[in-house]
Amino acid sequence: MKHIFQHPPETGTAKAYWRSVEDFSNTEQFQGWLNREFPQGASEFWGDGVSRRNFLRLMGASMALAGLGLSACRRPEAHIVPFSKTPEWQIPGRTLNFATSMPRRRGGVPLLVNSYSGRPIKVEGNPSHSLSLGKSDAFAQSSLLDLYDPDRSHRFVKAGSASNQEEFVKVLGELKQSWASSQGKGLAVLSEDNLSPTEDRLRAELAAKYPSSVWSYYEPALGSHDRAAAEAAYGKGARIKLDVEKASVILSLDSDFLGDEATLSSIRGFVQGRQVENADSPMNRLYVVESRYSSTGGMADHRLRLPASRIIAVAAALAKEIGAKNLPIFPDLPSLDIDPGWINEAAKDLIAAGSSALVVVGVGQPLQVHLAVLAINEALGARGNTFQVTRLERPDSVSLTDLVTKIRADEVTDLLVLGGNPVYNAPADLDWTSLQKSVKSVIRLGYYEDETSELSGWHLPQAHYLETWGDAVLQEGSHGCIQPLILPLHGGLSSIQLLGLLLDVPAGEGKIFVDGPELVKETFMRKAGAFATIFDFENAWNLFVRDGFLKDSAPRVETAAFAVSGTVVPATGREVSPAPLGKDNLEVVFIADSKVDDGRYINNGWLQEVPDVMTKLTWDNAALLSSKTAGELGIYSGVQVQGITADGVYYSDVITITVDGRSLDVPFLVVPGHPDYSITLPLGYGHEKTGRVGQGVGFNAYQLRTSTAPHLVTGATVVKTSAKRHDFAITQEHWSMEGRDIVREAPIAYYKDNPGFVRALGIESHTPENKSFYKTPAFDYVKYHQWGMTVDLTTCVGCNACVLACQAENNIPIVGKDQVKKGREIHWIRIDRYFAGSQRDIEMGKGIIPSDPEVVLQPVMCMHCENAPCETVCPVNATIHNEEGLNVMAYNRCIGTRYCANNCPYKVRRFNWFDYNQRQLDQLYWGPLGPKGVEETVKMSKNPNVTVRMRGVMEKCTFCVQRIETAKIDHKVKTQRTERKIPTDSLQVACQQACPADAIVFGDLSDPESRVNKLKKRQLNYKLLDYLNTQPRLSYLARVRNPNMKMPGAELVGMSLVNSRIHSHGGHHDVHGTSGDKPAEYSTEGRAH
Amino acid sequence: MANIFPRWTKWVPLKIIIALTCMGTMTAVGVTYYFTPKYTRVGYQPIQPVAFDHSLHVNQLGMDCRYCHQSVEVSAHSSVPSTQTCMTCHTQVKNESPKLEIVRQSWETGQSIPWVKIHKAPDYVYFNHAIHVNSGVSCYSCHGQINQMAVVWHDQPQSMGWCLECHRQPETKLRPKEEIYNLDWKAESSKAQREMGQRFVKDWNINPPESCAGCHR
Repeated sequence: MKHIFQHPPETGTAKAYWRSVEDFSNTEQFQGWLNREFPQGASEFWGDGVSRRNFLRLMGASMALAGLGLSACRRPEAHIVPFSKTPEWQIPGRTLNFATSMPRRRGGVPLLVNSYSGRPIKVEGNPSHSLSLGKSDAFAQSSLLDLYDPDRSHRFVKAGSASNQEEFVKVLGELKQSWASSQGKGLAVLSEDNLSPTEDRLRAELAAKYPSSVWSYYEPALGSHDRAAAEAAYGKGARIKLDVEKASVILSLDSDFLGDEATLSSIRGFVQGRQVENADSPMNRLYVVESRYSSTGGMADHRLRLPASRIIAVAAALAKEIGAKNLPIFPDLPSLDIDPGWINEAAKDLIAAGSSALVVVGVGQPLQVHLAVLAINEALGARGNTFQVTRLERPDSVSLTDLVTKIRADEVTDLLVLGGNPVYNAPADLDWTSLQKSVKSVIRLGYYEDETSELSGWHLPQAHYLETWGDAVLQEGSHGCIQPLILPLHGGLSSIQLLGLLLDVPAGEGKIFVDGPELVKETFMRKAGAFATIFDFENAWNLFVRDGFLKDSAPRVETAAFAVSGTVVPATGREVSPAPLGKDNLEVVFIADSKVDDGRYINNGWLQEVPDVMTKLTWDNAALLSSKTAGELGIYSGVQVQGITADGVYYSDVITITVDGRSLDVPFLVVPGHPDYSITLPLGYGHEKTGRVGQGVGFNAYQLRTSTAPHLVTGATVVKTSAKRHDFAITQEHWSMEGRDIVREAPIAYYKDNPGFVRALGIESHTPENKSFYKTPAFDYVKYHQWGMTVDLTTCVGCNACVLACQAENNIPIVGKDQVKKGREIHWIRIDRYFAGSQRDIEMGKGIIPSDPEVVLQPVMCMHCENAPCETVCPVNATIHNEEGLNVMAYNRCIGTRYCANNCPYKVRRFNWFDYNQRQLDQLYWGPLGPKGVEETVKMSKNPNVTVRMRGVMEKCTFCVQRIETAKIDHKVKTQRTERKIPTDSLQVACQQACPADAIVFGDLSDPESRVNKLKKRQLNYKLLDYLNTQPRLSYLARVRNPNMKMPGAELVGMSLVNSRIHSHGGHHDVHGTSGDKPAEYSTEGRAH
Repeated sequence: MANIFPRWTKWVPLKIIIALTCMGTMTAVGVTYYFTPKYTRVGYQPIQPVAFDHSLHVNQLGMDCRYCHQSVEVSAHSSVPSTQTCMTCHTQVKNESPKLEIVRQSWETGQSIPWVKIHKAPDYVYFNHAIHVNSGVSCYSCHGQINQMAVVWHDQPQSMGWCLECHRQPETKLRPKEEIYNLDWKAESSKAQREMGQRFVKDWNINPPESCAGCHR
């Protein structure tokens, strides 16, 4: 077998090398380069003719000698290619950490990025920043893959054919001259909004230089109601800042503040109030009124499902109960068909909590609801405690609709589109496609050559945030630094570089674009205040870059008066419609998808493949409906229509949703707990032109979205599209625990009365002790570390950050939709989602899906069992247990029997059925005849400390053994072997480091001070499937809820499992119902009392 | 009845069995000797692009290993030096020698010198230099008498079995920390080595991993 050795990349020439990926996409060419003694084209890169010739002459001589010498016959020659001039700070084999920020439309996330050998390989949160404290989220973790995406734009395109930077600069120069004479008449900029202070500064300068020009921001998923409400109440530029950790009672009106609308601080603040150390721990309480099943609804103590257009009635009722003043004028309110006690008791609880209460509202709700919520919060006295008012002044910009008006009036001749993708995601009623075509010249700065680039005269490649200088307003308002970790891989530009060229900012000798930090430094100078000397400024700047943010730059809290008058513009008719919903008058709610956001991450394979938290859907989007709605529409009749066919594939009918004359064909999913007569449509899919990963994935919901009703619209109708069927790749098809006690939960009152309830719930409490044939290995807690982990089910919100962090850290490949359908996804950690109980009518045996269940989430990865069933059955001993308690996998020994996966009761082992790294995911079954090879940039994204697995090898969570070994080695070297063990809690595994809810805690069980030891001593601690005597090192802390006993249905909150165990006497057999997969805890018997 | 088979065929099965047994044994013996790293790797001595002479630089001039192999104490890689390290002396010493022409060209043009890699562990093996040199294992134990090599060759098999020999009996290879980079140092006797080694194992908490996770991740 030919063993192919790889040359390390060229040094000193790295710039020229990486700029053209074409060199590397051709594998044969690359092989040819490898086989020569020295790199091909060495002479083209440097120097003048004389030295090149000499060099080659000398090289040629020794090359001939080397060729004559038979060394290459004996072993294939590999090379070590060190630098010529060593770069500063780099030690081969060690990573460097650089602080930067990820810019986002609602506020950036501070990051610390690991850089190995000059390229970023892992994104972490910035531990120095109070917002993050080292935590990050799903989008930050997966943004690394976007940097190395081979489908990225890497060229300048003029009218569809390749061009270059010089050509563009020439054309831009001519345009600038024309603008100079006309004061920028006809120039318009449509940009995505990344809250960049430097961009704001340059934007203001642009407006000053070209007074007749126009700047417009368009972010399809941003929503304007919350800012409009804040500004109406507290003045221009006001922003609401939530302090969730101070809240003891939270009510959410369609706000997914733990999921899609989360900030790192909202998640952390919430879970800090949820730590259940013992039965006396104070817990916060969460009421959720929502229009779909979100992560926040999963964490709720009391949940009310309502169509989004009805929530305004709840807001009005709540405001009345609480006695809020200065309410906006409500339109005709729809009637609510709910138990009025729900709102009354919730209101009483909020009033009792007073300034520790907090009401939050989702971005999609109409303006009145936002204003009402502000008034409610003021009435509760929450201002200054659980929420604050801050200010963010920004230069003016026009809305997209105003820009459209100008284009229609022929006032725009030159349009600059910076980022975004308006041709794809502009509201359907504006017909942006023909508008953009009508503009004389369109220059587009884009990350991909997408739909917008196709209709643009010029396309410029956009740089990733990891490649450029910039700054961002972070989520809590402080000033964050964006510094590059690598030169632009494909010659991309950032928007501030382009603006710098427009403003003729001096770029330095021989350069056209400012590629250093000058622009950001200028903004920093203005922001950071006065400095006595240049050295003080440079010091402050260096600290800013080193820390990644400017200390104490978070905006001050304001004490502006709340002044909402009754003259606020009411919402448009379609958003708030009092007409009752029914199967002929459905509402459609548009949400940014939890994975691809508004569509920008469609080509990110990691995000495509990570399952959505509630639906567990991958590689797709679907309309979400309730079972009742589907039944009435005739598109769901029992389990058959949307169910599992003979080959195990989940499928559904394709339906046509029509609203306002526009139609969309889309498949649908029934989600338990979804409100009736409401359809949730995730945006961001159905692109017509994108990279290979995103092409053809999903259905474009933007086709139904209009500028007058961007979040929700009523009056939709649904028809079944005959004879079409759509297959889904869903990772968790059923939500039954099959009678076992996998997740354990109880309300806190029950926990108080029964402190040992966790044990009592488990089978192990009433089965005889499992006396095993096998001796449990005796671990030496003195000489060695003993690794263990706990996962707290009370705090896990299901954000998927751990799944993506694990994927980034451990080089886990994606497998594609086809393979996910077969259950072959390779994520080492999965988040199981269980629906529990129902407060309304569940009639499980009759085939109706429960309408109001609760949700419990459980991250599951390798348990590292001390009595591992997988280790004993490996015929080649590829998986063994080491002295530190880890279940270790030796990939090179594995022959792919898969007996270990068969034996694992937790099903956490993953098999590489194909070579997912090197083979095309749609041509896997061609086997050796299929195309092989992976682009260079994809190789760059891999973590060098973890093996990249090939076909035929079993893999699973290793407790980040590479981090463990590195930590041990570093500590032993640092202490010169005087200390045997690493300091307490000094090591974090990837999933633990990413989790914003701090649900995962890993540590050394042999260290009595470690946090994991303390957590394992809690009464809530239990092991999964304990009765099997596997002795797992990973254990769970049971889920505890905090219901308000005065609320309707409170006695059932969190009691599903308890009820099913306690109310059925004599074992578990009679708890199972008539059909085999009817989950015991969801039966009616358990609740009849 | 005539004899269908001639008499000599009586011995054919036995001869076949003996022949197969002999061939099998020879194959096994041959593979055990010729196909193991002890034969295939030891002695590998490729021609390098620049004729760097360790015996000159280390023995005669007295340079420490770490002057060039700078990251060996802190990193997994021992790092082959960059041209910059060579030029710290060779901008002045022998700065017009034809043998160093490539080094000078590399320094001026920025192109790297492509040294031929001699010691290569497979990709699934993660060896860490730092922990070894900080634990009393000398360069000599794995790389042989480099300071006497005019052209470096592969001195030790560096197979997994060979690694485990030391991991299972570290006292046979440990030496005082001051002598790690002194490649000429030898213990007085194997008994003295053992005693000293056992003392080091105790003092320095030496417990080399013998489970897979120590090297295979």
